[in-house]
Amino acid sequence: MNKTYRVASDIGGTFTDLILCDSEGKISQIKVPSTSPNYSEGVVSGTLALLERVRAEPSQIEDVLHACTVGTNAILSKEGARTALLMTKGFRDILYLRRIRVPRLYEPLYRKPEPLVPRHLSFEIDERMDAYGNVLRPIEEESLERVIDELRHAEPEAIVVSFLHSYANPSHEQYVVKRLRRIFIDTFICASHDILMEAGEYERTSTAVINGYIGPPVRRYLDSLIRSLSSAGIHQPLRLMQSSGGIMDADAIVQRPVQIVESGPAAGVIGAAALGHALGENNLITFDMGGTTAKASLIEHGHALMTDEYEVGGPVSGSAILGGGNGYALRLPSVDISEVGAGGGSVASFRHGTISVGPESVGSDPGPACYGKGNRRPTVTDASVVLGYLGADSLAGGALPIDAARSVRAIEEHLCQPLSCDATSAAFGIHAVVNANMVQVIKTVTTYRGRDPRNFTLFGFGGNGGIHAVELARMLRIRRVLIPYGAGTFSAFGLLTAREALVLTQALLMSTGQMDFERLSQAFAALEDRIASSLQKAPRSLQWERALAMRYRGQAFEIDVPYRQEELAEGGIAHLEAKFADEHERTRGHRIQDAMIEIVRLKARGSVMSTTPLNQAPSSADLRKKKANRNIYFGPSYGFMSVPIIGRPELVGGRREGPLIIEDYDATIVVPPYARAGLGSFDSVVVELDEGATYG
Amino acid sequence: MDEPAIDPFQVEVFKCRLDSIANQMAITTLRTAYSAILRDSIDFSTAVTDANGLTLAQGVTCPVHLGSFPAAMNRLIEMFGAQLHEGDVFAFNDPYVAAGQHLPDIYVVKPIFWKANLIAFGITVGHHSDVGGIVPGSNSIGSIEIFQEGLRLPIVKLIDAGRPVDAIWEILRLNVRTPDEVVGDLHAQIGACNICEREMVLLYEAYGADMVRLYSDYLQRQGEEIARASIAGLPDGIYRFEDHIDGLGERPEPITLHVAVTIDGDRATVDWTGSSPTVAGGLNSPKAYTHACCYAAFRCLMPPNTPNCHGFTRPITVVVPEDCFLNARFPAACGVKGLTGYRMIDCLFGALAQALPQQLTADGAGGATLCTISGSHEGRRFVFSETVAGNYGGSAQHDGEEGVAHIGANHTNIPIELIEQRYPLRITQYGLGVDTAGAGRYRGGAALFREYEILADSALLQVRSDKRDFPPHGLFGGREGSASWNILNPGTPDERILPALMTEPMILRKGDVFRHVMSGGGGYGPPELRAEEDILTDIHNGLLSVDAAGKQYGWRDAPTAAPARLIET
Repeated sequence: MNKTYRVASDIGGTFTDLILCDSEGKISQIKVPSTSPNYSEGVVSGTLALLERVRAEPSQIEDVLHACTVGTNAILSKEGARTALLMTKGFRDILYLRRIRVPRLYEPLYRKPEPLVPRHLSFEIDERMDAYGNVLRPIEEESLERVIDELRHAEPEAIVVSFLHSYANPSHEQYVVKRLRRIFIDTFICASHDILMEAGEYERTSTAVINGYIGPPVRRYLDSLIRSLSSAGIHQPLRLMQSSGGIMDADAIVQRPVQIVESGPAAGVIGAAALGHALGENNLITFDMGGTTAKASLIEHGHALMTDEYEVGGPVSGSAILGGGNGYALRLPSVDISEVGAGGGSVASFRHGTISVGPESVGSDPGPACYGKGNRRPTVTDASVVLGYLGADSLAGGALPIDAARSVRAIEEHLCQPLSCDATSAAFGIHAVVNANMVQVIKTVTTYRGRDPRNFTLFGFGGNGGIHAVELARMLRIRRVLIPYGAGTFSAFGLLTAREALVLTQALLMSTGQMDFERLSQAFAALEDRIASSLQKAPRSLQWERALAMRYRGQAFEIDVPYRQEELAEGGIAHLEAKFADEHERTRGHRIQDAMIEIVRLKARGSVMSTTPLNQAPSSADLRKKKANRNIYFGPSYGFMSVPIIGRPELVGGRREGPLIIEDYDATIVVPPYARAGLGSFDSVVVELDEGATYG
Repeated sequence: MDEPAIDPFQVEVFKCRLDSIANQMAITTLRTAYSAILRDSIDFSTAVTDANGLTLAQGVTCPVHLGSFPAAMNRLIEMFGAQLHEGDVFAFNDPYVAAGQHLPDIYVVKPIFWKANLIAFGITVGHHSDVGGIVPGSNSIGSIEIFQEGLRLPIVKLIDAGRPVDAIWEILRLNVRTPDEVVGDLHAQIGACNICEREMVLLYEAYGADMVRLYSDYLQRQGEEIARASIAGLPDGIYRFEDHIDGLGERPEPITLHVAVTIDGDRATVDWTGSSPTVAGGLNSPKAYTHACCYAAFRCLMPPNTPNCHGFTRPITVVVPEDCFLNARFPAACGVKGLTGYRMIDCLFGALAQALPQQLTADGAGGATLCTISGSHEGRRFVFSETVAGNYGGSAQHDGEEGVAHIGANHTNIPIELIEQRYPLRITQYGLGVDTAGAGRYRGGAALFREYEILADSALLQVRSDKRDFPPHGLFGGREGSASWNILNPGTPDERILPALMTEPMILRKGDVFRHVMSGGGGYGPPELRAEEDILTDIHNGLLSVDAAGKQYGWRDAPTAAPARLIET
């Protein structure tokens, strides 16, 4: 019998990463240039190239997994659908007014992000619910007819219906959506309650509007990808990664595209959790650094930390800190990824007496000065070149040549002259500042949430992750760093490890002092039915994880407490309260005796029982040996050192003391003098730091 | 060499770490706060200072709180300097004996030690939902003495070397209308200070005391140098501006703010001489607050990367006459000094716009309206308080923003669905008004309005608003925006106009509707220069009527061209 294969592709701004995995778990990878605007071309040509490499046929592919940024791109480039919004009469401006707070202080000329729906496409329907779902005013037909008329003229590509308190009683939204669907057959139509069953009119509306805005482009994109794959002989259903870390069929995603906006980054985190599990490392901080941004997230006891507050389309995406306001609010369960504008292409500058590195980035085109493609300003990558971390042929196996002289010139011109210092110290300075920025983003997911980074292993990936990870670990007093094989294509690898799953939430207010277990289990059952039907599976065939969002009465931010009925039977409600109080003390620094605790919402995750396990190391065939030495700078206390440049295979014999540079096809790992590196399972590089190497 | 050379890159790294501590304090406060005003309006601030009480870093929170820390810390060190212990936590709110701002703002301060030496203070200040006094919410407008405004706390210990001082907590609980919220919020503030302590100790362990001192001093100098360079960039001269607060109650008498900003090389002097004397109401601003507002306005002229430490305030001198409502003297009431603060910043921008026409906007809605509805429903008491904001005036490059917080205080709105879940209130309308923006080449932001229906058996309404008699001014030929209004039962036979600054709470009945309309932002540049395309967009978006377009811009509707087609691409 023929071997079967799974193929995973992750589309980035510059490269499309693909991984092919056979039924024994053997992996081959390729990086092809992304083919904007018809991204599907790159996916198909990359897949065919991989198949050729293993001498297999398209018909042998039994699973097609995918992550893409098409949703985010539509928002960033403002090229989403022409979207109309129907609101309760008297509340047309909710989307536009947002939450009032501005994300930056002291800026009189501050401008808000443009709303995704212009005011002239916001319409009011005369209707009203109260907070308990009672109808205060039934839908006034005439107002609906009038709006339908206007919609006929306006010809939107998407229509979003978002009425006040629809989470408590969705019937008005349902009625209007049904009417619209009969009239506007080809229009993408969605209701806010269908996307998010929770109170908070701005966040729910914004989430639903994002869904509408990216709905048509995501649908077009997926249709075209499925067509291209099909004409290449690949007919298996396309499956996509969601921001929540679960896989879902493309035909379900077409209705709820808002769930895939962070699909690529989420795939990386899920991959880290899976690989960590296989390596016996269940507590990880993931650190993913590319050309424009660096992202961090937390894996605890094998599970990725989740958040319900997210913003997209701002300067950086990520969970909303301090009220947010940078981008567009998206309130759906997502892997909690914090992002900072710090990547290889981040520009370093000296202005008004202070130094800054990022968030401005030259990306990969024109890219760092050393690419010689027109940019003359110094970047983080240029600093790495001057310090010797990157050699002339370190990038993409030498396919992207580096001109070190240009890096030096850029740094000298823009930094050395005004600061009167030499290029090496300036480069080291850039390195230090960008690392400090990235330490902050790691703190956002650890110390800001009551976690001590020292209790975690730092898991570095992305094209630039290996260059900075060990130094970041030192600054955070982390003793252990893991860099996976294929660090540069790791998100694609992550797709192979994820399960088909869906997370949904449901508002439900209940005090632990007056528990109504009957109501609770009914609510869970209803929620689980919704999940199962979206996944097109029988509820009993799924594996369930349940949680309750709880808070002390009067607070506004909740903590998710895992909920298991059996536990409750044993320990009673006191057990649940204790679990909540423990977590409150851990993340927020205190607990409150004798305070009333309430449940605010339910959350359930239904997942399909495990997919193919990780059972074999990826092929080491791509691993190259290297032999050279380079002069490398690790700061004033070490000066320049002659450092061996090696490939992963040279670690097979055992651990090697730093300083070392390990060069892969797709990533470089810097091992400073205060650390040593060894090879772990799955060809991961394991770096251990000296105890004395603390932040100083 | 006596002093090690300072690497400017390492300073940036150090600053990053300090900022991160202040922000972590802010996040802790936000996530554990109880009252809506703290967590939804983010009416609190966090900072870390050195052992002398000089601010090193501030959280991204509320600008007008931030500049007030040095005065408060001076007082604390003066009084307790030698008797500070590990595990102490102090609280105070009184503007006269403790350098507070107004009574609802309670400061919580924790001295931080390393190797038995005092190294720093963690500070938070939060606006509490109630501290007693004559009106619920403790933001009385009509008070004439501070004694009417609530509980006055001198600098007292909430926690003494790790032990809660029970007497103080009991006094607090007994004197406020919302003891659970106040106590919960104080715990949130203490939690933030504990985080500060933990992180500062780690910082000292990493850097050592000498390096921390070296870098801290450098940051202060850097802040000062950047401030001096920014001021030196302004043409020398004296820039004057006059603005007004409408005044108190049913027959308001205007309250004058008069400012003269002298730019002399790299120094600035802000002189409020000519402003009104002490006011018989809660609008008086304690000196520390007046200073904080001036610093906040000048900080807007500096580059974003300027360290938010004490240093940037050094080149700015503030002069306030003795008998002036901007220099509150005991026992003047100051419960609603927040409004005065907004107006000081607006007035300063009016003056500074003459020197910096490209960097500042015409006048906006003038800061959040504070709307408090309290009462009882089905036997339970409630106090609902929220901020409603806001817009900016037009600028040299674009129209004024709508739905944004005033520069002085970065509040959020409270979700309507949460209000209706928690309070016997219904929000019946919330949006932008037509024909409210001040005309100009770049118009001001349109005015917001919000309408409340009372569902409670009985309720008291108090509103702190402004800009009815003196709407937001335009700049360089731009027109002023529309006036602000408070209307009871609009469009009914019972319709009644309420004062902008209500000195006495108004009794409302079930079914009453209260409508607050904010002012429209001022325009920038002459309306004749406004692009036709922009006029059409406003008409199309329903923010400008055809009639007003004719009156304000001399625009005539071309009968054949439907506006909708004109702007579509």
